[in-house]
Amino acid sequence: MAATLSNNGESAPAGRRAGHSPWYYLRESVLWVLLVGIALIEIAPLTWMFSTSLRDPKNSFDLPPDFWPTAFHWQNYLTVITSPDIQFLLFFWNSLKIALIVTGAQLLTCSMAGFAFGRLQFKGRDFLFGLFLASLMVPATVTLIPSFILIKEMELINTHWALILPSITSAFGVFLLRQHFKSLPEELINAAKIDGATYFRIYWQILLPLTGPALSALGIFTFLGSWNNFVGPLLFLRDWDLYTFPIAIATLRGYMGSGNQSEVLAGIMISIFPILVFFLFAQRWIVQGASITGVKG
Amino acid sequence: MATVDLSAPRGLRQRVSIVHWGIASREALAGYLFTVPALVGLLGFTALPIIASLVLIFLNYDLLTPPTWASESNIGRLFGDARLLVVYRNTVQLVVGATFLNNVLGLLLAVGLNRSMPWILRYLLRTSIFFPVLTTTASLAVVWRYLLTQDRGVVNFLLGQIGMDPVPWLSSSRWALISAMIYDVWKSCGFLMVIYLAGLQGIPAVYYEAARIDGAGRFQQFRNVTLPLISPTAFFAIVISLIGAFQIFDNVWVLTSGGPGDASRTIAMYIYEKAFRGFEMGYASAVSFTLFMVLISLTLLQFWVARRWVHYE
Repeated sequence: MAATLSNNGESAPAGRRAGHSPWYYLRESVLWVLLVGIALIEIAPLTWMFSTSLRDPKNSFDLPPDFWPTAFHWQNYLTVITSPDIQFLLFFWNSLKIALIVTGAQLLTCSMAGFAFGRLQFKGRDFLFGLFLASLMVPATVTLIPSFILIKEMELINTHWALILPSITSAFGVFLLRQHFKSLPEELINAAKIDGATYFRIYWQILLPLTGPALSALGIFTFLGSWNNFVGPLLFLRDWDLYTFPIAIATLRGYMGSGNQSEVLAGIMISIFPILVFFLFAQRWIVQGASITGVKG
Repeated sequence: MATVDLSAPRGLRQRVSIVHWGIASREALAGYLFTVPALVGLLGFTALPIIASLVLIFLNYDLLTPPTWASESNIGRLFGDARLLVVYRNTVQLVVGATFLNNVLGLLLAVGLNRSMPWILRYLLRTSIFFPVLTTTASLAVVWRYLLTQDRGVVNFLLGQIGMDPVPWLSSSRWALISAMIYDVWKSCGFLMVIYLAGLQGIPAVYYEAARIDGAGRFQQFRNVTLPLISPTAFFAIVISLIGAFQIFDNVWVLTSGGPGDASRTIAMYIYEKAFRGFEMGYASAVSFTLFMVLISLTLLQFWVARRWVHYE
C-alpha cells in the first residue's frame, strides 16, 4: 500500500500519446489549478499562524497579513512557556501522559480481543463480536450524558481518569485488529500449537509482531484522537493544572482577551508542533494508516 | 484441529480426539480471558450508557437532587421544542453542505494527485492538503476565528484586495453556518482525499487498458471505470462523513459559540448545553436519542442503497 501510494502505480494513465483535444487541456488545467489552489488554501492558515506568532504582539493585528515570517519575535514563545499563570509545559505533559496511556491501553485491549475473535474458538464468540460491531454504530454524542453520570458516580470528575477510563478500548480497534489477525496464515498457529506454545505466547510472540501496519495505524489515530480531544476535558476537567492543550488553548483565547493574538498563536504552534514533526517523519505510515482504517472499514 | 486429525496416523488421531475436549475448553478459556478487558470497556462505557440513556429519557434529573420520574413526558416535549427544529435545520444544512463539498473535493483532489508528476511535487501537495486533518479542531478553530474576524481579519482583507465588501463571517446569522462549513471542509477534505486516493490506487490498471483498447476517452474512462470501481470507497467515505458531520461540536463551539442567537448551533451543542448548562439530563437524553435514531437510520439506509448502486469487484 505504501509503495503504491508513493509511486503512483500508473492506475490513471497520464497523457495519451497523440492528438489531445482542447477539452483535454482544459480539463488538465482545471485539475491542476484546483490541486495547487486548494493546497495553498490548506497551508496558508498554518503559515499565517506561524508568521503572526513571531510578530511583536503590538503589531499582531496589522494588515497586510504575512504568510511568511517577516519578524522573529521568539519572545512570544518564551512568554507563553514561562508565564506564571498558564503552566504551558504542564499542559504538554498532561496531554502527552493521557494520550500515551490511552494509546497503550487500546493497543493492548483491542489486539487481545482481536486475537480472540479472529483466532480462537469459543462459545458465544460471534455474539460478543456482534456486540462490538453493533456498538460501532453508537455515536459518542449519544453516550456523553450517561458516561458523565457514571464518571460522576465513580467520583472521578476533575481527574485524568475521567478521560482515560472511557477510552481504554474501542470497538473500531477490535474490529480492525480482528480482521488482521484473521488474515494471518493458519500454519503459523498450528506450528506453534504443536510446539506446545501457550495461547498467550501465540498472541504475544508470534502473531502480534505480524500485525504491525494495523497496530501502528490504530496507535497513531488513537494518539491523535486523545491529543486533540476537546469535549472530554471540557466536560470533566475543572482545574487549570489538569488541563490538556485543546481546552487550555480555547480558554487561553478568552483569558488573553483579543489583545494578544501573537501569543495565543504561539501557544497553538507549540501544541501542534509535535504533531507536525511526527507527521513529517512518519507521513508514509500516517497516510497509509488513514487509508487502511478507511478502506477496510 | 481438523488438519491434525486428518494428517495424523490412526492411533494418534484417536489420542487427539480424546484430549480434544480439554484443548477446546482451554481455548475457550483463553478466548474469554483475552476478550475480558475490551468487553469491560465496551459494557461499561457503551452498553451501560446506552441502557442508562434509555432510562434517563423517562426521568427528571439535574445531577444534584435524586432523579424522579418525569411527570411531563420528555419525548412529548420534543414536539413542542421550537429551538430543536432550528438546531436540526442548522445541523442538516451543515451536514449536507460539508459532506457534499468534502466528498466532491476529496475525489477531485485524489484524481488530480493520482497522475504522474515529480515525487517532490506530489509530496508537497499531499502534505499540505492532508496536514490540517491531524491538527486539533478546537485550536485551529481559534486560528480561523482570527482569520474570519470582520474588521481586521485576513479573509476580509484578501477579499478587499479583489474589491469585495467585508463579510460578517461570524457575526451574521446568514454567514455563521457557512463559516462553520468552510472550516470543516478546510479541516477534513484532505482526509477524504487520502481515502479516495487509496480507492483509486486499488483499481487494477488492466481495466483502464481494456477501456482504452475499446476506444474510451479520458472522461469515458472516468465515467465507466473509475466511478463504478470507486463506489465502495465512496459509499464508505460518505457514510463516515455524514456520521461525523452530524456530531460537529468543537468547530462551532469555538468558532461561533452557536451564535448569533441559534444561527449556527448544532444538535451536538444543543445536547451538551441542555445537559451541562441547563442540567436537564432527562430531556437532553431524549434529544440525543433522536440523534441516535437519525444516525442509525442513515447507516441502515446507506447499507440498503449500497446494495443497489455499489459495484463490488
